[in-house]
Amino acid sequence: MAPSEPHSLAQLPDEMFSIIKAAGNGLAPRLGRLSLPGRNVIETPHYLAITSRGVVPHVTQDTYVRDTNISGVYVGLEDFIERGPAQVPPIYKFNPPDGASPLRCFIALPENSLLVLGARRTPPVAAPSANPNRTDSIAVCTAVGFKTLRAVDYANAVEHLQPDIVVGLGDVPHGRSLGSKRIEKATDRTIQWMSDHVQSRREEVKEHNAKQAKLFAPLLPVSCLNQQYYIDSLTGELADEVSGLAIYDLISVGDLPEALQHLPRLDLTAPQTPHEVLQRIALGMDILTLPFVTAATDAGIALSFTFPARTASVTNGSHTEVLPLGTDMWPAHHAIDVSPLAEGCDCYSCTNHHRAYLQHLLAVKEMLAWVLLQIHNHSVIDRFFQAIRQSIKDTTFVEDAEAFRNTYDSAMPESTGLGPRIRGYQFKSEGRGESKKNKAPFGRLHEVKEKLPDSALPNADAGADVLEEHGFAEKQQ
Amino acid sequence: MSAPEDDMVLLPRPSALTFDLVAKCTTTKARAAVLTLPHGKVQLPMFMPVATQASLKGLTPKQLEETSCRLCLNNTYHLGLKPGQKTLDAIGGAHKLQSWPHNILTDSGGFQMVSLLELAQVTEEGVRFLSPHDGTPMLLTPEHSISLQNSIGSDIIMQLDDVIATTSPDHARIEEAMHRSVRWLDRCIEAHEKPDSQNLFCIIQGGLDLELRKECCKEMVARDTPGIAIGGLSGGEAKAEYCKVVDTCTDLLPDHKPRYVMGVGYPEDIVVSIALGADMFDCVWPTRTARFGNAITNSGVFNLKNAAYAYDFRPVDEGCTCTCCRPPSEGGLGITRAYIHHTAAKETAGAHLLSIHNVHYLLDLVRRAREAIIEQRYPAFAKDYFNTLYAGQTEKYPRWAVDALMGVGVDIVGGG
Repeated sequence: MAPSEPHSLAQLPDEMFSIIKAAGNGLAPRLGRLSLPGRNVIETPHYLAITSRGVVPHVTQDTYVRDTNISGVYVGLEDFIERGPAQVPPIYKFNPPDGASPLRCFIALPENSLLVLGARRTPPVAAPSANPNRTDSIAVCTAVGFKTLRAVDYANAVEHLQPDIVVGLGDVPHGRSLGSKRIEKATDRTIQWMSDHVQSRREEVKEHNAKQAKLFAPLLPVSCLNQQYYIDSLTGELADEVSGLAIYDLISVGDLPEALQHLPRLDLTAPQTPHEVLQRIALGMDILTLPFVTAATDAGIALSFTFPARTASVTNGSHTEVLPLGTDMWPAHHAIDVSPLAEGCDCYSCTNHHRAYLQHLLAVKEMLAWVLLQIHNHSVIDRFFQAIRQSIKDTTFVEDAEAFRNTYDSAMPESTGLGPRIRGYQFKSEGRGESKKNKAPFGRLHEVKEKLPDSALPNADAGADVLEEHGFAEKQQ
Repeated sequence: MSAPEDDMVLLPRPSALTFDLVAKCTTTKARAAVLTLPHGKVQLPMFMPVATQASLKGLTPKQLEETSCRLCLNNTYHLGLKPGQKTLDAIGGAHKLQSWPHNILTDSGGFQMVSLLELAQVTEEGVRFLSPHDGTPMLLTPEHSISLQNSIGSDIIMQLDDVIATTSPDHARIEEAMHRSVRWLDRCIEAHEKPDSQNLFCIIQGGLDLELRKECCKEMVARDTPGIAIGGLSGGEAKAEYCKVVDTCTDLLPDHKPRYVMGVGYPEDIVVSIALGADMFDCVWPTRTARFGNAITNSGVFNLKNAAYAYDFRPVDEGCTCTCCRPPSEGGLGITRAYIHHTAAKETAGAHLLSIHNVHYLLDLVRRAREAIIEQRYPAFAKDYFNTLYAGQTEKYPRWAVDALMGVGVDIVGGG
């Protein structure tokens, strides 16, 4: 396992987030520290593992503790509320002893992991209707399809669930661009929802003196100038309740006002490659969510990049060949390769298992394949971020990022195999009469039998010599 | 008790195990023993989870180890197809393939014939069948099975036997299969290249015909394999018939060798079979049923996919000491029924958690049984087990279990 950075629960700075070093004013890479009581102190830039139904896909909670270095997770509330609004979602009724966080207990997240909750997964599935959000609610994708989540219910739910950080509700039209009239509406709604949420938090504190999640304000996916009224309220009456910003589009950090620059930035823009991660860090993102990690795992790809690029790219005559970002573990040439998934990796998967086993597990579609890949891929990301922070500290980030760009392929390698069985949220329904999501791994053999020539199946009395004659199989000596 | 005397004087066959009998129940035929295998000691009675394709359904070897498992199964049939013998040889066997430092048992590939019977044909040479992966015709001979298992390097290997469903109406075929299994045992012993590092077990056949079973026991015991399996069962026969076969066979088997009843099973079957003198059990059921959202507990099996569990925030099995059920204050995860309900059939991790619990449940069940045998209270243990399982409603006890236990001197229904 990669050595974790010196985390100490005891040394808690007063500030939740402090900027340690910024390479310049405005949009520049920066080092920070995020510390919340009882949690790992997280040096930023860092990442949050993305969960599905409360779990990092494939990784059970004991393995999470034992075999990964993940410091925090991002959870989407939409994964928990399919019974609503007709029934009260189960998790709203969960009250663990000693006032512990119902969400943390329910998903068995270890105490020291940071727990960040948003309304939607990242990246969210775009709603089918053109204007899914309403004046007082947004559309969320649950296990049983799209439902509406009212802003007031969201605010109440998150206060009950007690994550460490909650992303406030914004009128973000996922998968669609905002026209100028729509921007106005979105700005108004988001101001309204955030103000109501802040108001209820203030009342909650007054009445119960309750522990509260840090509130991050969502920025609409347009420039700050285009959401000026909302920005004004964030710097004005909401300022003392807002502890961070959630970014859905890079455009909104382009003209981020000075007054909001001290806040930690949670990136929910779904970068597709490590190159896009570096681009976001160059813009001063602090905490990132990386959907490509699980995507690589599901594709059977073991990530293999290092930062700064450790290996110089292979020079082949006059032109330089770029290195792949990962290794497709499906091909049969791994079958007897007992080397680790990635050279020099010290994760559980690489120190205990080898490529040959991974290839075997994928070939027979054993679920452990994706468990081991997920452990490995997250450890690659852990080291990636550790190195990024070092690079910022050493003031070599710009050169290192440039070298990385020149060394590695711009896209993820293509997968040659099938992923694990498609789960509900990965599947976009196209309506009636669509084919099965998952092909049956084994078919009935009767068809094969029928296609065989009669001579291929000698009768039961035939000896092995006859069988061999028929070319049926080799006789074992 | 003394070991049955063999009339035939045979040189002791090489063996890679030692069997130390620790205790015998004075009422039933239950035994507690320590079996020392090439990859460490295991305690008998023992339940062996099935890692069919060299992985236990999503659990890492570390997680499997944490359930206290020290011997798991691999299937020769599956490993022979993928990754295949050449690959196994190149890697150096199944332990190295799956990084499992403890013991492995492999079957011969014979059992899969029962499930593929329609497509398999048995000749004296071996079994012909179609590869389920691509339909390629294949021939499995006793020699090939042993050669494959030698490549796999499992600590316990099984002879190729002529398995037919015990429910088959064709008595002549059953008799033929029994005799053929004896002949194939000889071929397996002959073909076995690593008797000093791998233990070959014979497999008693003979369907539900007790006379055939007796004859088979006599023939096979004479061949002095390191361990003995009772095969061909768990194929849909009546449980009462199953018990008679196990009871009959264990009477004829030597005391100082492990006895393995293949493909068993459910907790009740195991509790009864232990009383009938069996030591080793395997079944895919705990992991398979976990994938359907079923939790195995002392009070029965609960399907946590049922809507009733959506709001049930109790641990999966109250009082259970597995990683999944133990509260965080005791180093566990404190997983609730509601959470399994939340993830069942939606995230594989939910199935993994339940597999951890179910495998732990069966391992713990045989551990408790072993303790009871050693402390000379197995009859009370069996009685208590059924009492809890059926919440004291003796009229719900399965007849076959009551009768089988009565046959070894335990009345689980009456007082005392």
